[in-house]
Amino acid sequence: MQQLKQAAESNVNTPRITSPKALEDYRASLASKYGHDVPTVIICCGTGCRPSNAVEVAELLEKGLAEADFQGKIVPHVKATGCHGFCSRGPIVELEPQGIFYQKVKPKDVPEIIEKTIKGGELIKHLQYKDASKKVFTHTNEIPFYAKQSRLVLKNIGKINPFDIDDAIATGTYGALAKALSSMTPGQIIEEVKTSFIKGRGGAGFPTGIKWESCASQIGNRYIICNADEGDPGAFMDRSLLEGDPHRILEGMAIAAKAIGSNRGYIYVRLEYPLAIQTLTQAIQQAEAMGLLGDNIMGTGFNFKVSLSMGAGAFVCGESSALMSSLEGKVGRPRPKYIRSVEKGFRDSPSNLNNVETYANIPDIILKGGEWYKSIGTKESTGTKVFSLTGNVHNIGLVEVPMGVPLREIIFDIGGGVPKKRAFKAVQTGGPSGGCIPAQHLDIPVSFESLDQVGSIMGSGGMIVMDENICMVEVARYFTHFLVEESCGQCTPCREGLIRMEEILERITHGEGREEDPDTLEEIGKFVTNFSLCGLGTSAANPVLSTIRHFREEYETHIRHKKCPAGVCKPLYSLKIDEEKCVGCGICKKRCPVNAITGDKKKPHVLEIEKCIKCMECHKNCDFAAVIVL
Amino acid sequence: MKTLKIKIDGKEVTAKPDQTILELATENGIYIPTLCHSPALEPAAMCRLCMVELYEGRRKKFVTACNFPLRRDVEIKTDTPDIRQGRKLIIELLMARCADSPLLQGLAKEYGANVQRFSDLKDDCVMCGLCARVCEKVGGKTLTLSGRGVEIHVNTAFSEASEFCIGCGSCVQICPVNSIVMEDVAGERILKIHGREAARVKLVHCEMCNKHFGPVIDLTKVMSKFDKGAIPPSNANICPDCARIKLAKRIAGRYYDTI
Ligand SMILES: Cc1cc2nc3c(=O)[nH]c(=O)nc-3n(C[C@H](O)[C@H](O)[C@H](O)COP(=O)(O)O)c2cc1C
Ligand code: SF4
Ligand code: FES
Ligand code: FES
Repeated sequence: MQQLKQAAESNVNTPRITSPKALEDYRASLASKYGHDVPTVIICCGTGCRPSNAVEVAELLEKGLAEADFQGKIVPHVKATGCHGFCSRGPIVELEPQGIFYQKVKPKDVPEIIEKTIKGGELIKHLQYKDASKKVFTHTNEIPFYAKQSRLVLKNIGKINPFDIDDAIATGTYGALAKALSSMTPGQIIEEVKTSFIKGRGGAGFPTGIKWESCASQIGNRYIICNADEGDPGAFMDRSLLEGDPHRILEGMAIAAKAIGSNRGYIYVRLEYPLAIQTLTQAIQQAEAMGLLGDNIMGTGFNFKVSLSMGAGAFVCGESSALMSSLEGKVGRPRPKYIRSVEKGFRDSPSNLNNVETYANIPDIILKGGEWYKSIGTKESTGTKVFSLTGNVHNIGLVEVPMGVPLREIIFDIGGGVPKKRAFKAVQTGGPSGGCIPAQHLDIPVSFESLDQVGSIMGSGGMIVMDENICMVEVARYFTHFLVEESCGQCTPCREGLIRMEEILERITHGEGREEDPDTLEEIGKFVTNFSLCGLGTSAANPVLSTIRHFREEYETHIRHKKCPAGVCKPLYSLKIDEEKCVGCGICKKRCPVNAITGDKKKPHVLEIEKCIKCMECHKNCDFAAVIVL
Repeated sequence: MKTLKIKIDGKEVTAKPDQTILELATENGIYIPTLCHSPALEPAAMCRLCMVELYEGRRKKFVTACNFPLRRDVEIKTDTPDIRQGRKLIIELLMARCADSPLLQGLAKEYGANVQRFSDLKDDCVMCGLCARVCEKVGGKTLTLSGRGVEIHVNTAFSEASEFCIGCGSCVQICPVNSIVMEDVAGERILKIHGREAARVKLVHCEMCNKHFGPVIDLTKVMSKFDKGAIPPSNANICPDCARIKLAKRIAGRYYDTI
């Protein structure tokens, strides 16, 4: 924390940028401090790494380096960054310029890193990354998790100190804004964004250029709003952008403001993101102090002021019209209006709402051109997309790939596949109202269109991998329950329809399913999709409809045979130890909390089903797959 | 003014820009069922019963007639199998809340709804929100929708009896399932929602006939909205019937007094 604050203070003396040219001069002057070849020790202090003492590691590194004797050699400086995306391996330390990657670094490892690697140039084996086959990797860019990604939006995250505007400027940030303000008309900016054909990253996938164009054509005070509500449980694409590279988002918003003709912007960020609120608050202050936001930006006469607004965290508040109500201080309920918010949104004025990642894509589109952007991805879905990869997969983390990459590549090459030699069953994409995609569709390219075709959605980029031990009926029940809790309750289909769907799913998972239940679920599901008022309702049936579509036999097994083949719905299965497979290692016996397993060492064990409470400890921990679900 | 060419249930008609589908249908004698709509209020589009199909080129959309503003030449179908099926489900779902409502029973018959399809939720409200909206409109500041999701319900602030009720009875009038009750008892008007007291308003005691009549209202505030002398203040404590008698006597008195 200490050094984060220092960075903040060091910016007090930064100059006011009075012209686009002055920005370039200032950027050039920063090279000696921030250039790629400057020896730096990078430590991830993202939200994922903080709980594992990342900040303490950073402080110890700083102290240790200050005290160590470098005999005249350059002392590397320490830099705390946002999330490196590979949170399951955190805290992560990287040594630049060599690009050495250390994982799971603990405070006690710091002296060794300083002595051996930094001073001695020697690698520390136990801190290096090894893949599932125990192969060791030295450099970040060789690790398959990183090697197969195209990090464009995320390129600065993990490289820059998010509290230090100079670090961002040194990498080129605000250069696109300078270009937009000095050499482009609003019409040209919009044209460039239209050419790029970028579609909104918040879920609906509406073409951003068209949205900007229609907002720009309205009369009246216009507003630029950034949707940083990120309500999907488990998703952290936007959080990591806000925490790791806040200036990129501010730059994107300012370019939008110029294009649309607005001088007022709001970022609606959830209260559960305290670090993002800190980085943003500081970023706005620094950018205003330097004349990169606020009045007379870079001396061009253009004004754009940005404020933060904190949301209380209801999922539905991420919906555009609910967000605008909430921003106005009213109850965050979707509005029953067919008038689009580009026409009449926040305070009944024309408002352009985009997602965090959408804005973060804008600077590169302006700098490198819409044609360049369009050359990445597929014809209909251009550019890259950030996914948060979680669930039963080796490498959990944030992944950025070009649109059009097959799901298989994300899950197996980047993600490293399913752990414990289990079989892949499905991948759930698109957040709580997304769908489940089975193995036979693993080769579809990820894009808005192809995910839609298999009954799922892109959503904001959630991706949960599920192995053979996940029950699809239970998955549907789980997400439906989430949506029942999050529905605003205004409209009949969503409010009443979802509780009836949950009721039916409950009874199926309890072994009381009826033959007609899958059809009834489909009937109500289609109705909720077609008849609901807002996007929450119209997508809420996806988990149910997609699992029935791809895993209907699993529903039928639950209903007809009263069996849960995955071993999840407790009343619907029983456990047994396979005598042939059991080697008598005794792990299961030790793990069982109710002593339901007996047996002598090296002899097949026996499970007494009457005592068993189906906690699955034995099943999860058996290395020989000898505990079987019946 | 520019007019729009709309085809609705096969009929070619013209519409004014920004006119809603429901207004156009009504104008042309086409019936679309509604539950949460009142021409006196802003549409809330909550019940979804007025859903229709809208065709523009090859695209088909489901839109609610009560609040969809017409802006382009489109085709509308108000009674397709999908629409009927959806309305049937809405009625079936709402029947589980308010099985006793004659209005829903009528609709159930019309759409062939299975009135006992879903288990009884033991409620007395269809969540159309009309009462809360009308209350806000008249300035009553008493009824609102509180809670989220399945928990959403009509309520007063903090579930306490409201001090702001003006006893106008608009909510009672507008409720499609008659679940709001207003009773005048012993000089007070009591408003009840979900069987619970939501407000209590003192009634004015008529100086002439001794009966209670309308609620006590802040007369000075009302009077301030009119020109001086428009309402004779002397009538404030007299019920409308007695006021008429009084006036009649006054007029008559002019003759008889002079005789
Ligand atoms: C229930 C619901 C929740 C949503 N949550 C978010 C969210 O957390 N973040 C977001 O950017 N968009 C969210 N959206 C999508 C927004 O309504 C909107 O489409 C988006 O912010 C527009 O920006 P874009 O065009 O850049 O994607 C949500 C939509 C719905 C229906
Ligand atoms: S669909 Fe659900 S969340 Fe959206 S308005 Fe209707 S009840 Fe509210
Ligand atoms: S927070 Fe450190 S890698 Fe994600
Ligand atoms: S009448 Fe239109 S939604 Fe209720």
